[in-house]
Amino acid sequence: MNPRRILAIAMKNLRGLKHDRRTVGFLVFMPLLLITIFGYTFGGDVENLDVEIVSFDDAPEGTSIASAITSDLATRDTMSIVRVTSPSEATDGTVQAALDKVRDADLLALIVFEQGFTEDAYEALFALRNGTLVMPGSFRVYIDGTNPNIVSAMMNDLQTSIQKVLVSPSFAIVLPIVATPELVYGEGAEFIDFFAPGVMGLAAMMVTFMLSIISFVHERGQSTLDRLLASPATEGEIVSGYVLAFGLVGLIQSLVILITAILLFGIEIQGSAVLALSMIFVFGIGMQGLGFVLSALARNEFQAVQFMPIVLFPSILLSGVFWPLEAVPDVLRPASYFLPLTYAVEGLRSVMIRGWGVGDVWLQLVVLLVFAAVMMLLSTYGLKKRR
Amino acid sequence: MSERTRGRTGRTVGENEDRSVPVLVRKLRKEFDGLIAVDDLEMMISPGLLYGLIGPNGSGKTTAIKMFVGLLRPSGGEAYVLGEKVPGRENVQRVGYMPQETAVYPDLTIHENMELFAELYSVSREDFERREKLLLDVIDLKARKDSLVSQLSGGMKHRTSLACTLIHDPELLFLDEPTVGVDPELRVGFWEYFGNLKARGKTVVLTTHYMDEAVRCDVVGMMRAGRLIAEGAPKDLMARANASDLESAFMFFSRGDNA
Ligand SMILES: Nc1ncnc2c1ncn2[C@@H]1O[C@H](COP(=O)(O)OP(=O)(O)O)[C@@H](O)[C@H]1O
Ligand SMILES: [Mg+2]
Repeated sequence: MNPRRILAIAMKNLRGLKHDRRTVGFLVFMPLLLITIFGYTFGGDVENLDVEIVSFDDAPEGTSIASAITSDLATRDTMSIVRVTSPSEATDGTVQAALDKVRDADLLALIVFEQGFTEDAYEALFALRNGTLVMPGSFRVYIDGTNPNIVSAMMNDLQTSIQKVLVSPSFAIVLPIVATPELVYGEGAEFIDFFAPGVMGLAAMMVTFMLSIISFVHERGQSTLDRLLASPATEGEIVSGYVLAFGLVGLIQSLVILITAILLFGIEIQGSAVLALSMIFVFGIGMQGLGFVLSALARNEFQAVQFMPIVLFPSILLSGVFWPLEAVPDVLRPASYFLPLTYAVEGLRSVMIRGWGVGDVWLQLVVLLVFAAVMMLLSTYGLKKRR
Repeated sequence: MSERTRGRTGRTVGENEDRSVPVLVRKLRKEFDGLIAVDDLEMMISPGLLYGLIGPNGSGKTTAIKMFVGLLRPSGGEAYVLGEKVPGRENVQRVGYMPQETAVYPDLTIHENMELFAELYSVSREDFERREKLLLDVIDLKARKDSLVSQLSGGMKHRTSLACTLIHDPELLFLDEPTVGVDPELRVGFWEYFGNLKARGKTVVLTTHYMDEAVRCDVVGMMRAGRLIAEGAPKDLMARANASDLESAFMFFSRGDNA
């Protein structure tokens, strides 16, 4: 291994990029765009859901649980209450009209409080104390279930209001059981904190794989690879030079993402940023190796591009980037454990959110190092093999 | 003399491993899935010669050269380059190779391409600067030194490719069709430079399918269907074939080969 030759090959790759402004722009803005778009889309809470409320609850104003819930809902942003129909105006017609709006997707949900709602609630409470059972006070929510996220956000918000209203001084109904979450990690963490490590891993994967497979297809196609192989540069030096250059590019990208996430979304890194970035570098080396190996199977750029979705999609879906591994169906879970991105993302999250150190993420580190080593060896061997 | 009689591994070395003999080929064969590209090739190229491998497309010139520089593994027989059996790594520093395809990086400038290969061959800074100047003169691209190769014409790219091959001043050169796509005026300049290299004791092995320029070689090897059908000084070959040019001489030897 001659450092001068490794450096020469690394420089050649970086210079090539330098002359290609558009690619440089792509390399910087792609991750920026990725984190910004995903950060805002996934990171924001579900808000401003159009809802109509029809109340038949005839309890006097001030004692009506229905109107207390209604006013409490209005204090938060999840629902935007388009219209409230009070008991004096509510008819079956109003319900039908609102329901039609839900069916036409002009409205996301309709909440209907039945007549005697407050009364039923109190009766149920007393009945419970006397050891008898009656129907509890209930209300109906007609909801457009097209998007399960919206359904759960709305139901959560309703539950919050119910609990708040019941314990408030005017009703003073204390619930017998309260679950109190004590966050072991991730105090103040939002979705973006969970999401940023995933995007960093994903972006590093995309760029290192893409750069390596395309460059190597070029090297082969334009016979410059023949020239390199006929020179004193060894196969190992060629692979190392590449890995150094594009690994650096992957690293810079991750840094762009990290800085954007910190500045724009205020994420906090609990652990060592150096450790996090090192993991990305090692992971990027492995992905490049995969690119080198697969480049031998692609005769031109077009064929190289065909490998991208094949390599990227399983990782995007199964590596826990957007949703946790626990959400991956059991049949597919074993596949998750074969994807290096799974370990990169898990390791990054542990470092960035849990603040873990090398000793805690050793498993992820070892897997990534083995992946990188195997891929480097395979690509070196692939170059060494002479027909 | 110990180097001649004892190899690095300690075993006795034969005449094959004479490090001063540029190319020695014995029954060299190369097959690609049943297609015989090089067939029982026998040749010996002496130092300080301008050797031209000529023959029509598909006659196996490129395949032979790729075996000499270690890019392809022979299917049979053997070839020794500077005393080392191919494919080997010992002499890479002493050899220069110009692939048939224009093998330069389009996303780098001419200067950056030359610098890369200078670095790979550990050329010192001063030597690089001196040779770069000289070679830019030879390929007549001094003014375009900092242009991206992708912005050059085909012929210019090809000239850049030649300059990259010569940057480490190798003693043995394998040039695969160095003059293809180069305009006639500059081609004359190229041949002058090849003569110049020869005068400095270099051995140049080149391929061409321009028979007219092959006359300038000291020795010409005629290839057809993977075999060497005739070898000798152009004048001798023409005399043997009773022909006035190499083209007709080639036809003459082709017929003989068929018989
Ligand atoms: N990589 C390869 N795979 C299969 N066949 C090849 C390969 N390279 C060359 N050939 C075949 O070998 C023969 C000799 O080719 P080549 O050495 O390129 O000839 P030349 O350089 O004299 O034009 C041709 O028939 C060519 O198609
Ligand atoms: Mg050829």
